[in-house]
Formats: sequence, C-alpha cells, structure tokens
Amino acid sequence: MSALRMGTDAQTNGEGAAGPTLERYTLTDRIVHWWVALTFIALMASGFALGYPRAYFLSGLFGGGQTMRFLHPWFGVAFTLGILWMLLSWARDMRINAADREWVRRLRTYTAEGHTGLDTGRYNAGQKGYYWFSVALGLALFITGLPLWGAWLGGAAALHHWARFLHHGAFLLMVGGFIIHVYMSTVMFPGTFSAMTTGRVSRAWAAWHHPAWFRVQDRRRAGANR
Amino acid sequence: MSTELGLAIRRKSATPASSTGIRRHTTEIAKLVDIDLCIGCKACEVACKEWNDLPSDHTSNFGSYQSHPDLTASTWDLMRFNEIELDNGDLAWLIRKDSCLHCDDPGCLAACPAPGAIVQYTNGIVNFDQTKCIGCQYCVTGCPFDIPRFDQKTKKVYKCTLCVDRVSAALEPACVKSCPTGAIKFGGKPEMVGIANGKVDKLKKRGFAHAMLYDPAGVGGLHMMYVVPRGDRLSDYGLPEDPHVPGTFFSALSVLRKLGSISVWGGLAATAIFYLRTGRRKPPPEDDAVTEAERLGREPAPVGAGHAAPGDGDSASGAGDGVGPVSMPQPPPPQPEPQEEER
Repeated sequence: MSALRMGTDAQTNGEGAAGPTLERYTLTDRIVHWWVALTFIALMASGFALGYPRAYFLSGLFGGGQTMRFLHPWFGVAFTLGILWMLLSWARDMRINAADREWVRRLRTYTAEGHTGLDTGRYNAGQKGYYWFSVALGLALFITGLPLWGAWLGGAAALHHWARFLHHGAFLLMVGGFIIHVYMSTVMFPGTFSAMTTGRVSRAWAAWHHPAWFRVQDRRRAGANR
Repeated sequence: MSTELGLAIRRKSATPASSTGIRRHTTEIAKLVDIDLCIGCKACEVACKEWNDLPSDHTSNFGSYQSHPDLTASTWDLMRFNEIELDNGDLAWLIRKDSCLHCDDPGCLAACPAPGAIVQYTNGIVNFDQTKCIGCQYCVTGCPFDIPRFDQKTKKVYKCTLCVDRVSAALEPACVKSCPTGAIKFGGKPEMVGIANGKVDKLKKRGFAHAMLYDPAGVGGLHMMYVVPRGDRLSDYGLPEDPHVPGTFFSALSVLRKLGSISVWGGLAATAIFYLRTGRRKPPPEDDAVTEAERLGREPAPVGAGHAAPGDGDSASGAGDGVGPVSMPQPPPPQPEPQEEER
C-alpha cells in the first residue's frame, strides 16, 4: 500500500516453514505505533512517580526527580504529536459501522472464546473502541497537562487543582486500557505482537481474526504472486 | 533549608507515615507581628538577607516606599506598604511584614509530589529542602498566601525558613532580633497568643474596634501571626479573609489515588487470573481458518472489502450457525481452494 512497505511475499516464502504472510502494518504504521507506545511508557512511569509517593523511585529511571519533572511535559508533547499522527493516518479504518454493534453484542463470547465468528474487517469493534478511547484520553491528558506544566502558563489555583484531578483520572483510565491492550496483543493472541514488529501476519491469524480483511489481502497477494 | 537540624519532624511531603510520633510533646513556636508597633524600617528585610546570605534584588521606584514590588526567590521577607483612604477621608498606612506564615496545616506540603521536599517540624516550622525539590511549583498553587517563589535559574522554589537553623540552636529568628520596636516577637505559640490577645484588647480601648489576632483556622492556625489593628480591612493589608487549604481537592485527590492503586493492582491481578482461566488463543490451523473466512465471505451478500460492513441482517445470520463456543469451522463445501493455485 505504502511506499514504505517492507518485504514481499516471495521473500517471506523463501524463508521456508513460515508460509506465506500478509502485510498488516506498513513501516509508517509501526513507527507511529511504537512512537506512541514508548512515549506513553515514559509518561506512565514518570506519571506514577509524580502521582504516587511510593512509586517515586521510578524517577531514578529519568535521572532524578527534577530531570523527570522537566522531561514529563516534553514526553507529553511527543506523545500528543504521535496521537495526532495516529488520528490522521488511522481514523479512516476506525470508523464505526453496523457490524461493530453486533461485535459489541458478542463481547461476552469474545472474552470467553477469543473469537466472535463474525465477518470482521481490518479492525474489530474492540480495536476501534480502544483506538478512540486512547485518542480521546491522549488529547484530554494533553489539555489537562497544560496548566500543570508551569506557573508561566498562568491560571488560578482552582484551575490547577481541577487540571491535576482530571489529569490523574484520565491517566488511570489510560493505564487500565493499556494493561488490557498489552495483554491481548502479547499473551492472549499469538501472532499479534509480531504483527506490530514485523508488520506481517500469518494467513491463519488473518483469516481467523479478520476474515473480511483477509479475503481481500489474500486475493491481492495471490494476484501479485501469479 | 537544611532538613533535620536535630528537630523532630511532624510530616514530610509525599511521604506516607512520615511522623516521628514517639515524642510526647514539643513546644510549638510562633512569631507574632504587631502591626501597630511596626514603623516600616525594613530592618527585618535586611537581617533576613544577611542571615540567609541572600543576594540583593535590584530595587526600583514604583511609586511606593516599598523596597521591591514583590517577594522573589531571594527576597523572603518584604514590608508591604499599603496606602488606603479611610471613610473619614484620612490616610492610613497599613504596613505588613510579608513572609511565610508557616501554616499548621500547610497547603504547600499537601500539594508537593516530591518526597521530603517540604518538611514540617513538630515545632511548627515549614521548610523547603531544595535538594529534593523537583521544581513543579505545585506548592505555589497550594499556598493560600502566595508565598513560595520559583527561581528560573535553579528551577527550585524558595521561601522563609523561619530561620530554622537559628531556632534549632535556641536563637530567635534574624528578623525578630533586628526589630528595633519589638513589633516582631518570638516564643512559644500559647505565650504569643496571650500577648496578642492583650494587645488586641488595648487596641480596642484605643478605638480600633475591629482589632484582631490573625490566626485563621482554615489553615490550622499560623506560626507567624499578626495583630491587625484594622481587622475590618484585612484585604487592604493583603491578607485573605478566610484562607484555607483546598481540603476538598486534596481529599478528592487522595481518594482517586487510593482508587487508582487498588484498580491498577486489581487490574493486573484480574488479568493474570483471566490468563490462568482462558490461556492463549491460537488461531486454528491455517486451512481451517481460511475455509471459515471464505465461508463467511460467501454466506451473506458479498461484503465490502476491508470495511466489514455487512448489513445488520446478515451479521445476525453469521451469529446463528457456525459460531458455537468452540467455533469449529463448518465443513467446507467443495470448492477450489484459492491457495492451491498460489503455491
């Protein structure tokens, strides 16, 4: 799709046992993802240190409290830029449609079985939901973070206190989403983490989790190989 | 500026259970500023600079006898010269020594996220430890009296220490020592309150009907109190009528914090249990998965590529059959498998 697309099926096939794979994330997709992921981890660690006295030891990871305090807002700026990039480049695939409503109805089956049996496209409703959840909270964290950055931004004490409370609340929601996201993409569904590192997924993975997307991609792959 | 100095600590910022507790009783100290006796000589300002080795700030004429417009990171004590017109047309000069009031319930300490950067001793002195300050300036918004000042060069916050180093060596603070009229007194808090009450009575007899001791309860009382002759004009002195620690905010924040740590640890535990219950979810063998995908593609009307937007009706049909809990793919109807040609 993109000029940055890495590797071809022929090359992957040459590696033997792995079998043919499909491109799931372009290099650009993966750079955006890991940009946001790494800045978020840095923000989360420094955020825990700033919000929880017992987690203050994490400030050592950033060269001490004062350096951490200096870095945290800048990590936030970098993170927000990544979020905006994600918003521009992924939003089209994340539009909610009627099929997503059915997916939500089968959420219980999905958590119990890890599968809904629906003809899911590139993203299922859960992925779309997590995307919009992260984008919204990411922007909320940026906005509520501004009054906390420094006195030079002005603002009354009441504004500062509200911002601090909301920043903390949004942070906790974000951490909750992050735990679920990491669990699902590493432990729960094999093949998902490597999709975000190599950019490619096996045909079995694609057909099982995203059948509608799989059919299009697989036909395209077959066409290219012919 | 230093921390321990042999003084017992009541609490430290961002330090759970920081009280040393075991001691039976410590005399709380207090400064008392009798505004009626103050002549505005600024000796206390100079003494503060000298004792604390603070550089002088550039002074400028801004239409007042006041030396500097405001407190700074290196000016911890400032005589504020407030000129007001009384109801009868007379002029009054409300001179107030402005410096940290050492609240018994300090808003700065409650706001501070850096462990140990703000210390409150059992004697009531509230002190900043700049070696632990991270420069976030939360104390600035936590203080109801607008006292802490941020230094752009060191990126840390400073204020009056109540000469904790002198007090710990049984000396009175530098400003007290230098005051030529005895307007600044120093001693145990009960003793100071006694002196203040006597003075307030005297002022009332002299016609200052609203004379009062300024020791507001909203911050738990002060360790630098004022005798205010015109108690009906507190705001003209630059004193808030009813200062208080933003208690609702801090208790809401601490509830949120507790909720947060419970749910983060709980969430991790729940995730671990979820893993133990359900394990990993591997896709079925490639052929089965592909067959199932092809079947889903055939079943309802052809689905828009990549958009997965089947109408409401057909997604329901998908739910009906092949989607049992085990989700075994239905036996595929004989059909040329696309992957055969590819290989």
